Amino acid sequence: MRERFDKIIIGAGLYGLYAAAFCADRGQRVLVLEYDDAPFQRATYINQARVHMGYHYPRSLTTAVKSAGYFRRFTEDFGFCIHDKFDQIYATSGRFSWTNAKQFQEFCRAAEIKCEEVAASKYFKEGMCDGAFLTEEYTYDAKILQKYYEDRLFGNSAVTMVFHARIDKILKREETWEVCLADGKSYETPYVLNATYASVNQIIGKVEDTVSDGFAGEMFRIKYELCEIILCKPSEKLKDIGITVMDGPFFSIMPFGKTGLHSLTAVTFTPHITSYDVRPSFSCQSGMEEMCSPENLGNCSTCPHKPESAWPYMSHLADKYMKPEYTYGYVESLYSMKPILKSSEVDDSRPTAIRVMSRKPAFVSVLSGKINTVYDLDGYLTEET
Amino acid sequence: MENKTQTVKEKKFISLVIYLHNAAPWLKFFLDTVIRTCENHFEQFEIVCVDDACQDNTVELLKEYVEEKKLRVMVNVVHMSFFQGLESAMNAGRDIAIGDFVYEFDDIFVDYDENVIMDVYYKLLEGNDIVAASSRGKMRTTSRLFYALYNKTKRGNGKIGPETFRVMSRRAINRIKSMGQYIPYRKAVYMDCGLGNATIYYDSRDVDVRVKNKTVSSERTTLALDSFIYFTNVLERTSAIICGAFLMVTVFMGVYIISDFLNDNTKPVEGWLSTMGFLALGFFGVFALLTIILKYLSVMLNLIFKQQRYLVSDIEKVVKH
Repeated sequence: MRERFDKIIIGAGLYGLYAAAFCADRGQRVLVLEYDDAPFQRATYINQARVHMGYHYPRSLTTAVKSAGYFRRFTEDFGFCIHDKFDQIYATSGRFSWTNAKQFQEFCRAAEIKCEEVAASKYFKEGMCDGAFLTEEYTYDAKILQKYYEDRLFGNSAVTMVFHARIDKILKREETWEVCLADGKSYETPYVLNATYASVNQIIGKVEDTVSDGFAGEMFRIKYELCEIILCKPSEKLKDIGITVMDGPFFSIMPFGKTGLHSLTAVTFTPHITSYDVRPSFSCQSGMEEMCSPENLGNCSTCPHKPESAWPYMSHLADKYMKPEYTYGYVESLYSMKPILKSSEVDDSRPTAIRVMSRKPAFVSVLSGKINTVYDLDGYLTEET
Repeated sequence: MENKTQTVKEKKFISLVIYLHNAAPWLKFFLDTVIRTCENHFEQFEIVCVDDACQDNTVELLKEYVEEKKLRVMVNVVHMSFFQGLESAMNAGRDIAIGDFVYEFDDIFVDYDENVIMDVYYKLLEGNDIVAASSRGKMRTTSRLFYALYNKTKRGNGKIGPETFRVMSRRAINRIKSMGQYIPYRKAVYMDCGLGNATIYYDSRDVDVRVKNKTVSSERTTLALDSFIYFTNVLERTSAIICGAFLMVTVFMGVYIISDFLNDNTKPVEGWLSTMGFLALGFFGVFALLTIILKYLSVMLNLIFKQQRYLVSDIEKVVKH
């Protein structure tokens, strides 16, 4: 007899664990399947750790307004992991920016988010930035958030977690899904949530319809970028400052949660390699088939084939803009796979895409690049299926 | 010097800014040459290619090259929105470069020994902020004429000549940036930026006259004419000379009129004196006014310099898979 759950959630990132806690609180039995050996090993941890207020999307007002709304709720719910005691500076470059200082101010006014002009000369070399703005944006600490969810879920009898799970296939039966693992175990559920971010298409590809009444398992149209986040130790002057030169081939250096480190990223140097295939296929996967393949993506940060750090490039870019007194030293590089919805390139919006691919039994896929839009899931988790 | 650097690589971060406009036939050889040289001598460098609306397969070839050679170096392509010419395109490329030292390759036709690439760098380290490499080969008559006339009439001291490529320091780039936003003719602005300039001459291999792209040359002719207006005082001087000539005539007329007036012997026609006096004075006034207007126009020209003058459609990183 197969073990049966009310919901099976694939992926123990923030979206997966949020959904697990949400459902467990409502008395459901939940199974979480995770490829790695612990939660939060990939994109939830390896990103700029920004709690988005919307500043990042000056060319997409709808994304910005939505972010601003969720920002408040997220900072209230997860205040314990949020670092907000630093000055977040957004600047527009005099050249190559798709948005100039005036447009940025107008955008902030329209989105009703804080934007106080400060002297660009305080942070940047002469002539590099045509406007600098003090904004309200925070950073979250993924490790603290991880601890919070571990404490909440590990001891919870309603939640079962399986780490190092290798999903072989997902079979669609009359009323239920049968999720089969490579080790022979299989589980049954009327509801599958696919919250695997970069692996979202890989999971969809594992679905086999045994009753052939149609599975709308259309793959997401995405491209994949292997991204590097550099953690660095900021100098005393940079410690309580986050700097983002935005909307163009620029960079960002800002506090990384409560770690005391800063994350350094650059639009052109952070992505190392790109795949335009439906599933992430890269030349670095050859010889690593056990660990990582176009069907099962491994963890890039712990991979022996991870690319050489772009630290010389990113640090030179940042130094070109920032005044020399803002120094920082290299600590380590983290790598993660980032799926980018192809429709969002022009206006740079990052909509949270949630697709119901089957209603009975339910199969829901979520793809979101932003942590504070996690609340979008609520409606899909409570919906009568 | 050569031997020393083979073992110890230079620590400075180098940017190579490369102008591409329908240059597919020369691309591979050029990349082979510069990348080999840079990999041998520098620990870190980046390549910024400026695609000035290439209509041939230059950009595709570039991407294939990066993929095929599995280059370690980062390659970025700045796509210009439409054909904007060498100067604007290279301004965009230089603005995006992040290196401590930036090489500008105005065209990718290699007629020099690859050591020249390092020679200009060493010359730079000697305390020059901008060092150019220039071919000793024959110049075309039009170019020779341009440089001769330009150097004779230009406002600053330094003289410019044909340059194949150059390297410049971050300090020079910052200086240039602070001088104004718009750089219509880089060579002229670089020469006038007040920092150390030097040129290394090399013997051109293979060819007598460097190959020039047709589209690029027609655009260069316009630029040559514009440069006279931007950087030389030809117009101001011409108007001053004309004005001076008329001043002489006026003075001469004045003397003639006064002597006529004092000397009662000759009796000119009634009203001749006042008519001629008025005409001479009037023309002097007109030319004096023209000089002022020309000066005024040149000031306006400088104001327009401050606007951004290039349009970029996209900055693309050449990615590996």
